[in-house]
Amino acid sequence: MSQIKPLKSTIGKKVIMAVSGILLMLFLIAHLAGNLTLFVSADTFNAYAHKLESLGPLLYVAEAGLLAVFLFHIIAAFQTYAEKRRARPDAYAVSASKKGPSKMTVASKSMIYTGIILLLFIPAHIWMFKFNAGTPHPTTELDGQEVKDIYTTVVNAFANPAVAFGYAGVMFLLGLHLRHGFWSALQSLGAMCPKWSPLIYAAGLLFALALAGGFFILPLYFYFCGAGSCAVSGGAL
Amino acid sequence: MSSEKLHANIPPGPIADKWSGFKANCKLVSPANKRKHTVIVVGTGLAGGAAAASLGELGYNVLNFCIQDSPRRAHSVAAQGGINAAKNYQNDGDSIHRLFYDTVKGGDFRAREANVHRLAELSVNIIDQCVAQGVPFAREYGGTLANRSFGGAQVSRTFYARGQTGQQLLLGAYGQLMRQVDAGRVKLFARREMLDLVLVDGVARGIICRNLVTGEIESYAADAVIVATGGYSTVFFLSTNAVNCNATAAWRCYKRGAYFANPCFTQIHPTCLPQMGETQSKLTLMSESLRNDGRVWVPKTKGDKRAPNEIPEAERDYFLERRYPAFGNLVPRDIASRAAKAICDEGRGVGSTGYSVYLDFADAIKRLGQPVIKERYGNLFAMYEEISADDPYHTPMRIYPAPHYTMGGLWVDYNLMSTIPGLHVLGEANFSDHGANRLGASALMQGLADGYFVIPYTIGDYLANQKPAKVGTDHEAFRSAVAGVKEQTNRLLAVKGEKTVRDYHWELGRILWDNVGMGRNAKGLTQSISDIQALREDFWKNVKVGGSGEDFNKSLEFAGRVADFFELGELMARDALVRNESCGGHFREEFQTPEGEALRDDENFCHVAAWEYQGEGKEPMRHQEALTFEHVHLAQRSYK
Amino acid sequence: MKFNLKIWRQEGPTLPGRFADYTVDNIIPEMSFLEMLDALNEDLIKKGEEPVAFDSDCREGICGTCGLVIDGLAHGPKLACTTCEVRMRVFEDGCTITVEPFRAKAFPVIKDLVVDRTAFDRIIAKGGYVSENTGSAPDGNAIPVSKDIAEAAMDSAACIGCGACVAACPNASASLFVSAKISQFALLPQGHAERKSRATNMVGQMDDEGFGHCSNHAECEAACPKGISIENIARMRREYLKAI
Repeated sequence: MSQIKPLKSTIGKKVIMAVSGILLMLFLIAHLAGNLTLFVSADTFNAYAHKLESLGPLLYVAEAGLLAVFLFHIIAAFQTYAEKRRARPDAYAVSASKKGPSKMTVASKSMIYTGIILLLFIPAHIWMFKFNAGTPHPTTELDGQEVKDIYTTVVNAFANPAVAFGYAGVMFLLGLHLRHGFWSALQSLGAMCPKWSPLIYAAGLLFALALAGGFFILPLYFYFCGAGSCAVSGGAL
Repeated sequence: MSSEKLHANIPPGPIADKWSGFKANCKLVSPANKRKHTVIVVGTGLAGGAAAASLGELGYNVLNFCIQDSPRRAHSVAAQGGINAAKNYQNDGDSIHRLFYDTVKGGDFRAREANVHRLAELSVNIIDQCVAQGVPFAREYGGTLANRSFGGAQVSRTFYARGQTGQQLLLGAYGQLMRQVDAGRVKLFARREMLDLVLVDGVARGIICRNLVTGEIESYAADAVIVATGGYSTVFFLSTNAVNCNATAAWRCYKRGAYFANPCFTQIHPTCLPQMGETQSKLTLMSESLRNDGRVWVPKTKGDKRAPNEIPEAERDYFLERRYPAFGNLVPRDIASRAAKAICDEGRGVGSTGYSVYLDFADAIKRLGQPVIKERYGNLFAMYEEISADDPYHTPMRIYPAPHYTMGGLWVDYNLMSTIPGLHVLGEANFSDHGANRLGASALMQGLADGYFVIPYTIGDYLANQKPAKVGTDHEAFRSAVAGVKEQTNRLLAVKGEKTVRDYHWELGRILWDNVGMGRNAKGLTQSISDIQALREDFWKNVKVGGSGEDFNKSLEFAGRVADFFELGELMARDALVRNESCGGHFREEFQTPEGEALRDDENFCHVAAWEYQGEGKEPMRHQEALTFEHVHLAQRSYK
Repeated sequence: MKFNLKIWRQEGPTLPGRFADYTVDNIIPEMSFLEMLDALNEDLIKKGEEPVAFDSDCREGICGTCGLVIDGLAHGPKLACTTCEVRMRVFEDGCTITVEPFRAKAFPVIKDLVVDRTAFDRIIAKGGYVSENTGSAPDGNAIPVSKDIAEAAMDSAACIGCGACVAACPNASASLFVSAKISQFALLPQGHAERKSRATNMVGQMDDEGFGHCSNHAECEAACPKGISIENIARMRREYLKAI
């Protein structure tokens, strides 16, 4: 009899993928909510950023946790991919989908690729915004206190068309990743039943559109509208 | 002539007590000794799979063989309609006696009463057993088991799992078998074809197999051999059976001295899809349950080419309802098949070939609504539409009879042992329970009864009495059997002629279908014997097999099977020729009532005909086992 | 009808394979895909060439023996049917059809289009049953089973073990096959006594056989000749998580 190693089993690995994926989705929701303050005003955003920074050690704990979640997600993903290659060493000459109830889409088939691009994107993203590409952030005064003006960092970064469109492109891929990831996570946790499946699958699409859409619009908005000028209309987004 | 070998070993006592009497008095093998006994089971269908699993549970060392890649694919899987059991859950007057009575009568009084009664008794246990295994039988809203009435029964005693009853029962047995494989009590040998039976001192002690992947010829020794390899309908080439079904294992037993009983008793199933062309590889069965709601008809006038829906009610001939008002569309299979053939021979058949009749659901849909019909037959309708491209919800189905089941088989006594000591034969491969015609939903019952409930007792009795001495595969008998098998393989490969195995099989099938099919007569039978002999001679001179013996070689597999089919086909014709009467699936045109019904001759033929092989080129010898009917009185079957 | 065929030929498990081109003519639309291959093989045998090895048996879609990947689709282009049920009328006259075996590490090729699916048997041996010795069963009606449950269990039990789910899955996962059996016995009361060991043992064996992960593409459901739902996979995961 084979020994039970839940975390090493195919089901266990998908549970790790699913749970870490769901945590990452929750993080993205929070991240997007924070980012949307960019549309309100520079001060609102900077205040939000300052508040996060002032959490001090707590922030480090949160960041370490986030990193751990990422690592679980990434390791499980690579293991899954390696397993897939092992399980089908010889590829078909012709590949196709039967459609019908199949949910095999560009999104589902490209998870590893969209995932890798996101993986490469994240350090660049952190380098660019958390560390302002190695230079100190500009500062601004908020309620009589000097704080980092990350708003300006963002505006400056997205003034560069390569950055703005590159960002938007990656966010489109994030959308693809989420389109399969959302419902797949729930299915991997066994949360599907015939009554709910179509709803959850549709909800996955809405979720991907909303979340990735929010992230997608940001760089384009700042590229085309620049700082401040459309802030009010943008705030209504 | 009667033979001393044909001793049925029926236990004494009143019929209802025979089986319990046997169980009370049979010898037992002690638990410690069971694992010292090796039993070979050939076949993994309902009979073989159930036997291997049950013997494994008891502690025997079981070697189980099948030609398929997995035991789950044995042809029992294809049985659609259901399984009978005398549970009387419907309170409609069923009982063990009534099931017994119906089966004896349905078999046209050519089955052994004691065996049939045991079958009816065990039917009840089978359902319990299968339910406990988790077979998902159809249920009523209250959670109890559902039943339907099925071909020729006036009570609802058929249990079913949609149109996949055989599959579900087989998967139940297969699960139990795999449990024993996991426990190490059953060793499984898939993709092996049994090509000979090995006798040591006149007792069955092993088999020779071909490994269908490597071509290796392998020997296996045991204390007893069980053959459960199904029937021989594929002798006709076109039949409802799977294309790999064959008679080779049984036939090689016959050639080793096991008597072959009633080979002419073959069943032609009334509800199959009609043949479409010469390239066809098989005929597809539509479950007989369709006759519960479908009405069979043809146009009243010959050559009416109108579309079925354009033919008004008054111009339709519902010929089964007309001829058999009491049973209507539910008459037994042999009667329904013959009636369809007669109508088509009259020139009133429909379809492009004129060899099919309508099975119409319009009335049932009107009465019950399409959803009910869909629930009952959805998968069958889908299958029909897939094949024929017609939608049976709106256009009547077209059906025609096709070879489906063979009641004949190796002769066995009450203990399911053949005339060779130690060789036991179960399921469709034996001849015992269905007489000259099998009723619907009885095959699954017989296979499982033999495998789960009969053989575990009778084989224990055999082994306890025999105490077989050890024999290894190095015994001379094994070596000479291996040499014989290799010789046949080499002979087949060496011919290198012009015609393929399929060509020959097709021709043999045509000869048998035309002369030893639904209607038989002395002239045709005599002719067919010489035709088959000539074809067989040509086969050995002009067949082209291709490939090698040491490889996966389908063509070689089929060649060996067809070589046996020639001999079996000839025996079927001989048996049919001698049996100067009509009974069940055997209809001799010379012997019929003025109304065209089968006319039995109980005076001269109330017996089992068991044929003994006499050697290459010699006429086989016919033996008789007299049948006595003490509980179901001999009477002309009437379903009017 | 006439067709050009590109068929995978491979002499043995360890030998390299390749595609070979054939042409078949005089095919009638009613012929099944396998009857078309029969016709090709008859030609090849008559020409003294090696016929194409493929598995088939019942030829009515219930035994699960046949299984080819036709133009990249397990069991061909139609939903809910097996290879033997595919009729040639679904193909365009004169087209080229690519025929490959089911490809997975756990299904090694035996010859040409024939693969070894005994991995499925070994998985079933680990728990695809109710441990119930012959003769010990209570009356059939002793345990009532609601009609809904019986129907749902039958939906899962309809699996024919053909392996198309594995063939169609981009990851060569056997999850649909394994989950169908686990589901049948998770639904029916008869299976409850062993549900934990069944889930862990069968999943363990599935992994040991070298099948891939299920990434929820649901292509298996589309390829399944019996339309078995991936809902079963979700249920298998619940059973597994409850069992560990």
